[in-house]
Amino acid sequence: MVSVPQPSAGSSKNPIRWLMLNRSTWLYPLLGIGGFLLVWQISASLNLTRLPGPLSLWTNERTRELLLYPFYDRGGLDKGLFWQTMASLGRVAQGYLLAALVGISAGITVGLSPALNRAFDPLFQFLRMVAPLAWVPIALVIFQKNQPAAIFVIFITAIWPILINTAEGVRQIPQDYRNVALVLQMSKGRFFTKVLIPSALPYIFTGLRISIGLAWLAIIAAEIVMSGIVGIGFFIWDSYQQNYLSDIILAVLWIGAVGLLLDRAMAWLQSRLTPGQ
Amino acid sequence: MTTLVDVRDIEKSFALRGGGSYLALKGIDLEIRKGEFVSLIGHSGCGKSTLLNMIAGLDLPSEGTVLLDGEAIKRPGPDKMVVFQNYSLLPWLSVRENIALAVDEVMGKIGTSERDALVQEHIDMVGLGPAAAKLPLQLSGGMRQRVAIARALAIRPKLLLLDEPFGALDALTRGNLQEKLMQICNEHELTAVMVTHDVDEAVLLSDRIVMLTNGPGSRIGGILEVDIPRPRARLEVVHHPSYYSLRSEIIYFLNRQKRVKQWRSRPHAVVARHGLEKVNLDLGFLPLAASAPLAVAEAHGLFAKHGLDEVSLIRETSWRGIVDGLVDGTLDASLMPAGMPTWMTAGGHGGTPLPIVTPLTLSRNGNGITLGRRLAEQGVRTVEDYRAYLKSHEREPHTMGIVHEASMHNLLLRYWLAANGIDPDKDVHLQALPPAQMLADLKDGSIDGYCVGAPWLDRAIRDGHGIAVAGDLAIWPGHPGKVLGLREDWANAYPNTNIALTKALLEACQYCADPAHWAELSELLSDRRYLGIKPEMIRFSEASADVDRGGPESEAAVPHHLFFGEGLNRPSRTEHLWMMTQMARWAEIPLPRNWVEILERVCQVGVFSTAARELGLEAISYQRQGIELFDGQAFNADDPIGYLNSQTIKRDFSIAEIPLASPRRA
Repeated sequence: MVSVPQPSAGSSKNPIRWLMLNRSTWLYPLLGIGGFLLVWQISASLNLTRLPGPLSLWTNERTRELLLYPFYDRGGLDKGLFWQTMASLGRVAQGYLLAALVGISAGITVGLSPALNRAFDPLFQFLRMVAPLAWVPIALVIFQKNQPAAIFVIFITAIWPILINTAEGVRQIPQDYRNVALVLQMSKGRFFTKVLIPSALPYIFTGLRISIGLAWLAIIAAEIVMSGIVGIGFFIWDSYQQNYLSDIILAVLWIGAVGLLLDRAMAWLQSRLTPGQ
Repeated sequence: MTTLVDVRDIEKSFALRGGGSYLALKGIDLEIRKGEFVSLIGHSGCGKSTLLNMIAGLDLPSEGTVLLDGEAIKRPGPDKMVVFQNYSLLPWLSVRENIALAVDEVMGKIGTSERDALVQEHIDMVGLGPAAAKLPLQLSGGMRQRVAIARALAIRPKLLLLDEPFGALDALTRGNLQEKLMQICNEHELTAVMVTHDVDEAVLLSDRIVMLTNGPGSRIGGILEVDIPRPRARLEVVHHPSYYSLRSEIIYFLNRQKRVKQWRSRPHAVVARHGLEKVNLDLGFLPLAASAPLAVAEAHGLFAKHGLDEVSLIRETSWRGIVDGLVDGTLDASLMPAGMPTWMTAGGHGGTPLPIVTPLTLSRNGNGITLGRRLAEQGVRTVEDYRAYLKSHEREPHTMGIVHEASMHNLLLRYWLAANGIDPDKDVHLQALPPAQMLADLKDGSIDGYCVGAPWLDRAIRDGHGIAVAGDLAIWPGHPGKVLGLREDWANAYPNTNIALTKALLEACQYCADPAHWAELSELLSDRRYLGIKPEMIRFSEASADVDRGGPESEAAVPHHLFFGEGLNRPSRTEHLWMMTQMARWAEIPLPRNWVEILERVCQVGVFSTAARELGLEAISYQRQGIELFDGQAFNADDPIGYLNSQTIKRDFSIAEIPLASPRRA
């Protein structure tokens, strides 16, 4: 066999040439998305559905304004989509942080004690199956107010993956590391900071990453039923009530984009904080 | 030297899921001296890591105690630091941080600069300076294990415990690390206990090697002292005279454990059938041409023909394995050297007499004495040359290989040497070696020569590594070679089986003796189950051999191995007395005062006669008379003591009454 040097894909300096060589990486996704939008637009134009087509983002004047000016703020509920999203994110941040704090501590406690684990695991497994929307009425009954109720729904949705994964991470600390700690006669505190946390960190992050997605899903659900608050979820519900259908499509785009960003940010954080694992 | 670790009669059992418990270790007693390097070796699951964990305090014994410096070990601690097999470094800490963590934990009081110096010293000790800032995952396995060793040493433990430290490393890295560890242990006079399953590693590193038997209830099966001086170098220890004997001792032990385990895993209920008390037999043999009758009996269905439906042939690598198999009852009967029944009966094996009987002589002849090419190149071609050579090379060690002290090879070689004025103990050293190893030793010149049976005697000559100086036909034509041996208590419990077995093998002997069958025999024995070597290496006649064994010209055409014929198969009391007398001459056994009784019981002439009569072969049942070897000295079977006294070259022999239980007649 004689090996002939070949220009490897993606190594070319010429951008046009690069695009041609790597077309499989951009062409197929583009075709897929384009095809989907096309079918959607055609079915909308043919009045097969009441849902406006993707072009309505631009053709509908109100929506175009929302698209182009996300930062306007006319007071009350009439704010640009950026502010709506930020309000929702604020709630997510509070509920999520609370969930992380409680979830990690409870997870470690449960993970360290087989008895506690056996006692509570069935309960955790059961509660994590309850949908976010089902918590909304309970939250409203408990807190009587929209804002704390929304944060509670985030909290209760996001906590389970964190808790269960943390507990698993603690249980999965290799016996070798425990033996090292035993042989060196490490104190409890040193074991916690030097062995337990670093060892369980990848599991904790897996939980955190699953939860951030769930929390973001939950806030939309929570806001939809909580009238009169600023937030992207309520914005969608309000648009629906007023039949601004193309606005809904725009809001959905925002939600998807923000969710994706949150997930990526979490993955980045994980790679930074747990090197080499 | 003072005792550092004292393991006192410990026992360890683990609770099993679903109730019950598993007894891992039982009755372990071990003292480890300060500065000693001890290895624990054994098969997987023999409890060697469990024992190490109990010394480490990671596990507590169910019974007994482990003392460190006189204090009972109750929990793990840095004074008995462990180097784990999978390194157990914390992957989120760099090399330096991993070592520093241990130093901080254990020596919290020392200052920062002192600490940094200590960490650096140990990083340098294992040669990891350039990698100090790296994370464990960026390092190779060998480097990681070096970090683990540095971490262990940095906290200055009294005792270093290593659990298969180099098990996961490639051979080259392992060798380098072994030398490094040895050097560090020497420099710091460390006391260390290492678990390993690598025989060479154990011999290289240890002062003592503790061999553990298989579980359940593992115990110490033997402790070997390694007398190779330090400092040792990996490539040089192999040339030390003790190296291979230690190595083969361990390998023998491990193989024996495996064999016992295999034996235990099979059902052993006695199966009685066809009017025989036991038809399921395990018969031992060694890969030798003289095993032909056993192979033939199996291949031609002769065992089954005589009612023995379930006979398995068990191949051992050394006669020692046969002895142990008969002692612990894993073998029912076995091919054995002709001298072994009287040797074992007189207590040659560890001083405890175990009556062994023989109803049948399976083969005669088949031996030869070979000298290495190294000697031939210096002009040594005859025994006179060899005697002169020994005189002129007195300072060098002269070793000759034999297969077992009770084998005819040993007795003939000694007889031949002594008759030629060479003292077989003072002028040379005779060492028992497995036949397959002799050729290798002859090649590299660590032995002068050997006396061994076919096919091993031809090999050296054919391969040009040695020359034949004396054939057995020249020393004692028709001497007994191998016999069928079994325990007397076994023979008493299964008398009809004994006769059936003798019949089957006698018929096989008859088959083997026919020259028309020799080509087939060579083919059969070349099978992997038996010898596993090329058929042309296995020869049964002088005439067909293309090498000169130095026998007289007139005998060159007779069959070399004798398997069957008049007076050949009947156990001969005179011959066994000759062998017993020779073994007494070399102080291998005392000469039994009750030798008449012993010969009566060892030679089961009655069993042989019954078997021969039932086969219609009465004609061969006659007794050979008189024994005369090449030197013309007659052996008087009525006066062995007088014979011994008349020998010039001999050891201080002893005469003793061998107590034998009264024979139980079934």
